Amino acid sequence: MLKNILKTSGLIIYFLIPVLSFAYTSPGTPSGLVNDYANLLSVGSRATLESELLSFEKETSTQITVVTVADLGGDTVENFAVKLFEEWGIGQKGKDNGALLLISRDDRKLRIEVGYGLEGALTDAQSSQIIRNIITPSFKNDDYQTGIIEGVRAMMAATRGEYVAEPVDSGNGNFNLDLGWLFFVAFVILRTIALFLARTPSWWAGGALGGVIGGLISLFVGFLYTGLLALVILIPLGFLIDFYLSRSYKTHKAGGAMPWWLMLGSHHNSGRGGGGFGGFGGGRSGGGGSSGSW
Amino acid sequence: MNKSWWIALAVVVVVIYGWSGYNSFVSKNEAIDGQWAQVETQYQRRFDLIPNLVESVKGIMTQEQEVFGKLADARSKYSGATSANEKAAAAGEVESALSRLLVVMENYPQLRSAEAVTTLMSQLEGAENRVSVERGRYNDAVKVFNASVKRFPANVLASVFGFVERAYFEATTGADQAPAVKF
Repeated sequence: MLKNILKTSGLIIYFLIPVLSFAYTSPGTPSGLVNDYANLLSVGSRATLESELLSFEKETSTQITVVTVADLGGDTVENFAVKLFEEWGIGQKGKDNGALLLISRDDRKLRIEVGYGLEGALTDAQSSQIIRNIITPSFKNDDYQTGIIEGVRAMMAATRGEYVAEPVDSGNGNFNLDLGWLFFVAFVILRTIALFLARTPSWWAGGALGGVIGGLISLFVGFLYTGLLALVILIPLGFLIDFYLSRSYKTHKAGGAMPWWLMLGSHHNSGRGGGGFGGFGGGRSGGGGSSGSW
Repeated sequence: MNKSWWIALAVVVVVIYGWSGYNSFVSKNEAIDGQWAQVETQYQRRFDLIPNLVESVKGIMTQEQEVFGKLADARSKYSGATSANEKAAAAGEVESALSRLLVVMENYPQLRSAEAVTTLMSQLEGAENRVSVERGRYNDAVKVFNASVKRFPANVLASVFGFVERAYFEATTGADQAPAVKF
């Protein structure tokens, strides 16, 4: 018994020790397509670049992003770029049409990392030429601004025409399968179930329902612990919900106030704010691109 | 609840555990194979570049026949390899011959200034980087699978279904050392 406890605690410690072999540390969450952590750009040119990149994304769905960092924290520029790309998911999922221009100020190193989907348009050779002929000559004169802007424009020119943005549905009343509609459908289903559970005075049905849903989750998700966890959580949760519903329905019938879940109407709001940076789409890269120094 | 209810519940839990556990082993195992295919794709890409590089520098680097010979040997070894381990070993040889060539090329300034060679070099560097990225991800996939096969209680399930640990991709001996340049 004691041996087992020691063994498990050893295992726990083993998995808690962070992996030390990777020196990559995240620079933070993206605030836009231009992330100037090292302050190499003026406020004005940062805004110009951001709006150019945003309209490029709107037109082509391709996401080109600029990241400047003070230093790489001892990592190589190649590894840092791949890990950052992975973390942020630059480009659209499935298209993998993202590209990253990473500049490390104190290491005097830079890299263009290209997503899988753009490797044909922005090849290693082209990336290397952009770095050698456009960016680094300006950087050598301490003119980071020109180098970055011209470099990004060359990246846009190379990748233009590779992808075309799909028309964004404006959400003007026709029922597309957008998030709001999905929520609405889920809500109607849930309310029907809630009404049914509430009318039955017993409260075991909720637990059974939780068990069934948990079982389905574990079958389709197929992960070892998610399935068990779903069962463990959903069964008591189902019991509790049914218990609560049945009780509040009873008080309602006895003349109490209408429970809130019966009053909630069927309105849903759709439509998203257009214009700004909407986050990255989950694109991937595989080490394509080129590195350089100045 | 009476006894038979408890037994039924236990059976359901065990079946679901076994089912989802088996599926998770299968998908993690497939992820490794898929990632290995990615590694091979990048190997192929690198090998397709090598003849171009060799052609463009052969005329000037007339004294380096040994490096070119090694490179050619390793390439033909790779195309003859069938198993993943053989391929990995042959790819390691190509790698060391190639890095040897790249180091030797540093001694020919007239090569480094030629645009065609610089472009080829950047493509080769890109190919090298892709290989190392995909290999790293291969090892990550193996790590996830091995951890799930070895951790209690899933290890019991894994041995019932016959899932065993997969091998990591390790750098071939000598590949981590920079090649020595002789004059």
